[in-house]
Amino acid sequence: MSEGDGRVSGGVGDEEDGRVNGVVLLGRAVGAEWVKLWSVRSTWWCLAGAAALTVLGAVTVGAGEATDLARAAAGDASVTASGPVVSAAALVPFALAAMATLVITAEYASRGIWGTLQAVPVRGRVLAAKALVVAPVAAVAGVLSGAAATAAVTAVLSADVFGARVALPPDRIALDLLRMGLFFALVSVMTVGVGAAVRSAAGTLSVVFMLLMGVPMILLMTGGSAALAASLRMPLFAGLAFMESADTVTGGPIPYPAGEGLAWLLAWTTAALAAGHAVLRRRDA
Amino acid sequence: MISLKGLCKRYGDRTAVDDLSLEVRAGAVTGFLGPNGAGKSTTMRLVLGLDRPTAGTALIGGVPYHQLRNPLRTVGAMLDARALHPGRSGYAHLTALARSNGIARGRVAEVLERVGMAEGARRRAGALSLGMSQRLGIAAALLGDPAVLMFDEPVNGLDPEGVRWVRHLMRSLADEGRTVFVSSHLMSEMQLTADHLVVIGRGRLIMDAPLAEVIAGSALTAVAVRTPHADDLSARLSAAGVTVERLGENELVATGATIERVGDLAYEAGIRLHELRTREASLEQAYQELTAGSVEYATRGTGA
Repeated sequence: MSEGDGRVSGGVGDEEDGRVNGVVLLGRAVGAEWVKLWSVRSTWWCLAGAAALTVLGAVTVGAGEATDLARAAAGDASVTASGPVVSAAALVPFALAAMATLVITAEYASRGIWGTLQAVPVRGRVLAAKALVVAPVAAVAGVLSGAAATAAVTAVLSADVFGARVALPPDRIALDLLRMGLFFALVSVMTVGVGAAVRSAAGTLSVVFMLLMGVPMILLMTGGSAALAASLRMPLFAGLAFMESADTVTGGPIPYPAGEGLAWLLAWTTAALAAGHAVLRRRDA
Repeated sequence: MISLKGLCKRYGDRTAVDDLSLEVRAGAVTGFLGPNGAGKSTTMRLVLGLDRPTAGTALIGGVPYHQLRNPLRTVGAMLDARALHPGRSGYAHLTALARSNGIARGRVAEVLERVGMAEGARRRAGALSLGMSQRLGIAAALLGDPAVLMFDEPVNGLDPEGVRWVRHLMRSLADEGRTVFVSSHLMSEMQLTADHLVVIGRGRLIMDAPLAEVIAGSALTAVAVRTPHADDLSARLSAAGVTVERLGENELVATGATIERVGDLAYEAGIRLHELRTREASLEQAYQELTAGSVEYATRGTGA
């Protein structure tokens, strides 16, 4: 211990105020969130979960598709290796949503949010920093685990039992993986927004689950055409539309263009962030 | 320097802080006292912009907290030493804080050294003892070399050596010209550390005065007398309207009179004195007198 060692020398305050703008301050907040994300184990568990879900889901779906093709004796038709990966993408958002949830709810649970807001008192900046850290991590996780899953699908479907019905068109695969990364990034950012509004981990995951799966399923079960149209505009189906997934829970491709899917996805993400920001600003920490 | 003007905070129909106005000045340790639930922590949260005041303002050097661009370089605060992710190491916690305010990386090791946590900071925060968490919290407060420091119950959970260390630290921070605002329920601790006292009860300001004044003003500050004629003197003093308490064969304690008056009364009666001195009230006693009203009220309030 070395109290009074003179190193802390009398209140220097905010001497660089003049040349520091909002962009620099946001950059610093992002740096802090980056350090926080990688210094807890839960991040690694969630990313490992996302990768495992992608690979296992894709191989299962891919094997099913190849079997269907073989049964139908469909000539030399083959499965695009990244196709099953995109189909399996309906499961993966939950693992990444868990990561995005913890980025904000773990701070409320431990009251670490006090320290966060002491360091960065502008609420919008805190939320933006968290979103800016979660988005690229989820995107890269999507691309990398998607690439691994594509390789796994290729390996499995090359086996004789599946009749080697697998194709590897590079353009299509690259597009699939990139779009999947963007989809995961947007779902994760949406989760950050929900987390800021709800604050508890259980509550946040419930709301995200309802948005992705629960509400669309309930709408589908009602069977009405308006309900069907609405459910297809919820974030999960909007994402599948954006990725042009051929095989979805609804039993076929989403009946609107990829661009519209992206637009709906952006709208949901923006709405969640706006809700989170409003609560952060108004409610006591 | 911290200045509060008409600060109010209500949670529903409960008033936590009620029209609080005060200045906490630089270069001194200001003790912040009050019974449990008096509003000390809430006041600190309002200063830090964690909660929004219902009315009034809390300014730091004339600026509201949220307008500070790199707040950790102006205000260092420890509200709750346990308020951090239990799975993150103290080192990572401080590194993140340093990054957020553009504080050089080297400061992290420096403050950890200063609080004696150079090694402990590698462990998960959840595995630290309360005393070590307190040291980590103090390190976080010192990180930005701030001019204003606020600590909520900093000696909680510290061993006697740690308590002495915190006392020294507060003193040296104030001597460096910083504003040091410390809440505590340990009156004896405040008596040793603080220069100035702010006492609140039920969210209201009860006293804002230098420590010496608070103690001198107490009705329990008394004059102790040792004399072989204790009975005579006791009668004399009582007749003069001084309250007398007999402590022993030869000892009296007089309250309600200055030491000069007690000496004069003894002289006039021709009574020999072997000792005449002022017996100061402890801060504990002075504090209990000051807050008796608000504690009583609180008890009645909860009974209703």
